Amino acid sequence: MIQGGLVVLASDACLFVLVASALAYWTIARRHEHLRAPWREVWARPAAAGAAVVLGFFIAIALVDSIHFSTRDEAQDDVVSLLDLALESLRTHPETSYSAPFATHAYSRETVRLPDGRVHREYPRLVSGGAHLVAPTERPADIARRAVLGLALGLASGALALLGAACVERRRHGGLAAACRAIVGGRTRRPWRSLLAVGCAIALLLGLGIALAPWYHVLGTDKVGTDVLYQALKSVRTGILIGSLTTFISLPFALALGVAAGYFRGPVDDAVQYLYTTLSSIPGVLLIAAAALLLDVHMSRHADTFDSLAARADLRLLALCGILGITSWTSLCRLLRAETLKLREVEYVAAAQALGVRSPAIIRRHLLPNVMHIVMITTVLDFSGLVLAEAALTYIDIGVDPSMESWGNMINAARLELAREPAVWWSLVAALVFMFVLVLAANVFADAVRDAFDPRLRRVGAESIATLAQETSHR
Amino acid sequence: MNASSVPLLAVDGLRVEFGPAAAPAIAINDLHLTIERGETLVLVGESGSGKSLTALAITRLLPAAARITGGGVWLDGANLFTLPSAAMTKIRGRRIGFIFQEPQVALNPVMRIGDQIAEVMQRHLGLRGAELRTRVTDALRAVGIPEPERRAREYSHQYSGGMKQRAMIAIALAGEPDLLIADEPTTALDVTLQAQILDLLKAEQRRRGMGMLFITHDFGVAWQVADRVAVLKGGRLVETAPRGAFYRAPRDAYSRALFAALPKLERRASYERPLAAPALLEVENLRIEFPIRKGVFRRVVDRVRAVDDVSLAIAEGETLAVVGESGSGKTTMGRGILRLLPLAGGAVRFRGEDLAGLSEAALRRRRRHLQIVFQDSYAAMNPRMLVGDIVAEGMVAQDLGGSRAARAARVRELLEQVGLEPGHAARYPHEFSGGQRQRICIARALAVEPTLIVCDEPTSALDVSVQAQILDLLRDLQQRLGLSFLFITHNLGVVAQLAHRVAVMHRGRIVEQGTVEQVLFAPAHDYTRQLLAAVPKIGAEAT
Repeated sequence: MIQGGLVVLASDACLFVLVASALAYWTIARRHEHLRAPWREVWARPAAAGAAVVLGFFIAIALVDSIHFSTRDEAQDDVVSLLDLALESLRTHPETSYSAPFATHAYSRETVRLPDGRVHREYPRLVSGGAHLVAPTERPADIARRAVLGLALGLASGALALLGAACVERRRHGGLAAACRAIVGGRTRRPWRSLLAVGCAIALLLGLGIALAPWYHVLGTDKVGTDVLYQALKSVRTGILIGSLTTFISLPFALALGVAAGYFRGPVDDAVQYLYTTLSSIPGVLLIAAAALLLDVHMSRHADTFDSLAARADLRLLALCGILGITSWTSLCRLLRAETLKLREVEYVAAAQALGVRSPAIIRRHLLPNVMHIVMITTVLDFSGLVLAEAALTYIDIGVDPSMESWGNMINAARLELAREPAVWWSLVAALVFMFVLVLAANVFADAVRDAFDPRLRRVGAESIATLAQETSHR
Repeated sequence: MNASSVPLLAVDGLRVEFGPAAAPAIAINDLHLTIERGETLVLVGESGSGKSLTALAITRLLPAAARITGGGVWLDGANLFTLPSAAMTKIRGRRIGFIFQEPQVALNPVMRIGDQIAEVMQRHLGLRGAELRTRVTDALRAVGIPEPERRAREYSHQYSGGMKQRAMIAIALAGEPDLLIADEPTTALDVTLQAQILDLLKAEQRRRGMGMLFITHDFGVAWQVADRVAVLKGGRLVETAPRGAFYRAPRDAYSRALFAALPKLERRASYERPLAAPALLEVENLRIEFPIRKGVFRRVVDRVRAVDDVSLAIAEGETLAVVGESGSGKTTMGRGILRLLPLAGGAVRFRGEDLAGLSEAALRRRRRHLQIVFQDSYAAMNPRMLVGDIVAEGMVAQDLGGSRAARAARVRELLEQVGLEPGHAARYPHEFSGGQRQRICIARALAVEPTLIVCDEPTSALDVSVQAQILDLLRDLQQRLGLSFLFITHNLGVVAQLAHRVAVMHRGRIVEQGTVEQVLFAPAHDYTRQLLAAVPKIGAEAT
């Protein structure tokens, strides 16, 4: 069914550029002790390591969802991703309307014409949910059987992961069995126990999904009969993109303007301050609404360039990231300006000036590396806020395109679903749970990053005891 | 045991540790001290010797990372370590008063000074109403604060540095303590203020018959206040002796080494200045001003003249020391000469060429001839750069030293020249001690082959023994490379040891200038005489 080749949407390119720059940062950080030490501290925290696994899982989903192919299917989708292909059974078996999780029958009564011509109102059987069952009474047993199978699969992969970790740790602990015991007891230098625990939980959920999702709508279906699990999974990419791309767009503004204002002071500082005080006093929602409207007009004027639905939705997502990025650099810029104002008076900057080092080199060599911890802390802290902002903006209809899967769109739809009787709760719950897990993981990780990078919060490690003893004696 | 034979304070076998219980770092090891009523014990030692930790351990105010793992502290025969925390709060402030080094941080900035004293009296003496107010005024008057009624209603930012420390003493004495712990109370103050505060402390201690534990690193200060002296090294007590006996003949080798490292006014090595050398740097009528801006448009409403009409000259191979108290404008002048600050007027002629009139680009090329070494070697180096890159930075900026490999070789050579190892180039600054870091800063300055180095208090953050090493290094470099130094300091002992000529700076002006012999031993100006009189001298009785 894949007719055309690879299609690279603009947001795909952005996401892969982000991943590439993260990798580049990693290779640079490996070579510098002052970057490696705080990251070691982050990994040494069990909670942070666990959160990193969750984040990694979400990012993996987003990446798989960002490899697109063109199709010439009769379905409305003209571009599908690798994730769509993997979730083929979820994507291509829609119901007609709402159905509850694990249901075999529709959620609302429909008018059915019986073979004898009489009209009857009943709850019809679903097209794909539980369609393999002869009688709906077999359902509990069937679900239990499949669930056990799925859990076994998850456990097996968890055990395999433990074995793999034990192989890595074998040399240090002397023997595979001893390494296993050390990992389970949490006595290893790397936080294997928390990594494996979280990994195992994910494996169990994946196993359940693989065993159940092809046969049932695990999280039910929405108004037009689309599987909610599929929607929630597709929303991961939207959330991750908005969370990361927005900060990436705002970084150059914040860094360049903040550091320039702090270093050059005078008229440059005045201009930058004027800019960000003005920008931050305009309500962000207003700017975003205006930008969304402009883009809509632009796209309808140039309908021939935005022919595919996916391309239009994609552009709208990018525009949202852009406008969020342009309006959200002000707080980081303020922090960077203040820090640079402080740093430029530090004596190593004066020493560089006395040596005749030019301003660009002073900024590059002395100021930027010493404000990067602020950038790192703000970036990870802002991520979760932006994921939530997407939901809020979409809820008031100025967020992502309605045709694009996003948690905001799911929550927006739930507004009406909750008002009907009986209420449809699964869309909202699914969106909330997915978003909650991602944001929680991001927050836990961000806390660890801040503690490790903020020089004021630096913990008392074994190596800093001597310094501390000296400091207290100076006090 | 007879009550009168119990000492006021007895520290017995005190042990304090840092870090994990399995492999602790021992900060204080088996410390024994006693203080009688009316007696002053001075605890001396270099940084990191555990002086302040001892004081904090006595009041059980140790930082969270530190633990008391042995011994006890008895106040009037009662063990403080077994008291519940609630009872301990009744001891602090009431029985034991505490004075810190930095009054700026120890005073609450949003509370009136009078209220801070009243708080102690209210809590520990139960005073109220009119009586409390009179006692607060009396307390401020006793520590020599003029107009105490008005001053009691002011906040700490309205007080000068010396007055803050006086207020701090008033707070510490407000609970009428039996024991006063003073942790380097004069280190942050100028010598003239230091002399006043020491006199005040000593007088109050005698009048009240308090015991005093006085912590300092300065042997001159110790002489002025001590009845007995205890020397700490690496958390261990090296020696305890009565003042007279200690200063006549210290028993321990470490104490003797500390004495030997002390820069003394009298001591002057045969260190002749080069004869008839041509003038290298001439400063004429230099003025540096800081604008005071006000209002929405930040208009300049007034100017503070930090350096006012200063003229001086330095010959090739000569050291000119600039002395003065904090705020006298000596650091500002040093930076102004290097044009790190904008000049308001005057000329800085380097080999006859006026630096004040040069463009940025032309100035950048001249910068290699004039270098600077700062006081705080920790702030003077980018913590994110390797030592090798730090030393090489000037060579890169000035396009010196040729290829990358040649520069690396030069960095190794420079590190050896300042007494470090070539392998240190691959380390970060935080891996070095204070003295080593200052050596790196000197190497960085030397890398561009300068002819004049401005040394801005390069040794005042260092211990005396390290200070002596750095001064020896600077003198050695001067003789080998023919460098000139503009040496900014507040320590007259250092001046006597290193300088050829001295300029005394006071409120932005140079009040007296001349050879070391003239200025230090036959001062012409009143201010110079005051400055010299305030230096604590070992052997002279405090007034």
